[in-house]
Amino acid sequence: MPTVRLALLAVLVFTQFAVSAPTMLSGHTRYLSHELTFVTYGAAALLTAASAVWVLRRRPLPRALVVVGVPGALLASVVSTAVVPPDRYFTPFDWSFGLVGWLLFVLLADRTALLLAALGTHVASSVVQFAMAGIPDRLVLGTGAILVISGTGLQVAVALGIRALRRGERMSGEVAAERDRVETRQALAQQHGSEHWLRFAGHLGTTLPLLTAIADGTADPRDAEVRREAARAAAQLRRLFAENDDVPDPLVHELSSCIDVAERRGITVSLVISGETTPVPTVARRGLTEPVIAALSSTEGKARVSLLRTGAEVRVAVVTNGMSQPEADRVAYPRLPGVEVSWHAYGGHRRMEAKWRSQR
Amino acid sequence: MAVAAVTAVVIDDHPAVRAGVAHWLSAGEPPISVVAEGKDVGCAWVGPGAAADVVILDLHLGGHVPALGDLRRLTDAGRRVVVYSMRADDATALTCLELGALCYLTKAEGDDHLVEATRVAAGGGRYTPPALAGALAADRSERRPALTLRETEVLIEWFQSESKDLVAHRLGISPSTVNSHLERIRIKYAEAGRAVSTKVALAARAIEDGLIDIDDL
Repeated sequence: MPTVRLALLAVLVFTQFAVSAPTMLSGHTRYLSHELTFVTYGAAALLTAASAVWVLRRRPLPRALVVVGVPGALLASVVSTAVVPPDRYFTPFDWSFGLVGWLLFVLLADRTALLLAALGTHVASSVVQFAMAGIPDRLVLGTGAILVISGTGLQVAVALGIRALRRGERMSGEVAAERDRVETRQALAQQHGSEHWLRFAGHLGTTLPLLTAIADGTADPRDAEVRREAARAAAQLRRLFAENDDVPDPLVHELSSCIDVAERRGITVSLVISGETTPVPTVARRGLTEPVIAALSSTEGKARVSLLRTGAEVRVAVVTNGMSQPEADRVAYPRLPGVEVSWHAYGGHRRMEAKWRSQR
Repeated sequence: MAVAAVTAVVIDDHPAVRAGVAHWLSAGEPPISVVAEGKDVGCAWVGPGAAADVVILDLHLGGHVPALGDLRRLTDAGRRVVVYSMRADDATALTCLELGALCYLTKAEGDDHLVEATRVAAGGGRYTPPALAGALAADRSERRPALTLRETEVLIEWFQSESKDLVAHRLGISPSTVNSHLERIRIKYAEAGRAVSTKVALAARAIEDGLIDIDDL
């Protein structure tokens, strides 16, 4: 829109100063009243200048200007036409006819309906004045009609063109917004999907990379380290299934599942539980059972798994003897926040304790 | 000097358990002889069982209801009772201690603990196996005595590791100090329990004698 208005302003300025001015100045002696001619021309020029201030700044015209300018322009047109000698209507002498049309354009560029109404009024008033001056001869009538039709026709066409332009703008704006919305939804869905996949893969723990490595041949099942990793992965899967069971004491259930896997490997595990059932969130339960899995998967002899729940904390300990892994640090497992894990080795024993405090 | 062998009477409703316990006790150092056995508490009251040093009592004799009444009668008569139970229930363990049992042992715990508990009980002492230590550490009832931080640590470590050596090493003390801590904890519990039962008995006697009314309580 601002560009269109600039173009209209350019036409108006050109018409005002390059077309109307020379015509008016050169024939001012023949006008019925010089003063009125100058006054109306000055008023039109004033309106042009005022509109230019806003159009050049690419801002909409203030209502006050439009409310004053439109009737002012129409009045100027009527008055200036009135002072033109009757035989010069619709000739280049009648400088106000085309000029006022373009002035109305610049003032009412956004309001197409009003613009058409104003133009209609302007043309009607000019024609009425023309008719009131007496019925001219056919030549003058013909020339006048051509001028009116061509000038007004051009302007009406421009007005309708502006309206079509604005409608197109609005529609393209809506289409662009719709496209943005669809793209955003698509991006979100994709991200959600990939996060879901990552979470799922995270739940499976070491299973996927291990299986991939065995399939590739990079991990040899005859290697003790690989077997230990496989034991860990089996326990993690088993615990994942246990997490989805609906049981009154999920922590005990998950611990039992980890122990179950270890017992199948031939380890003797005893589980002792003390204290009342305490609700433990899933993340904390995972933090407590991960080191248990790590400890059990790296032992070959006997293990004692103990669970103690006082009101304020939950402590899980695994004491093994006959371990295959002398250094506890070499056992890798994911550490989760909120759970303190400590390892200790003495004599033939290795002790792991995982502590979680409720109501941090 | 010949020390009189420790004698015990085993009361359990499973013959296989009775035989197993008798075998374990006789394999101990020094061996403990089982002078009577049966599935009825009467074995501890009449016959050779009446003079046995220690009564090893299965708490769930042929039913779901624990034989707490029988336990109380035995302890009131001054008998030394080791409760031997299939259930690892904290509340039941603490109740048995309150009723005067010298030890509460779960059947999941091995023969070492049973032999040790019986030997200690014969001398009137209180043995604390790891599962019982866990029950004491997790005890949150109002009637529990105040334990020091070190005592709580001892209970928890013993519960977790079942190895006095490991406990001693972790806490930087000697194994005998670990034992003395456990004994002190049991004494505290016994004193806390006795105070309550004394008050209750006193109130019951006073009501019997008509000195106070139930409504006065």
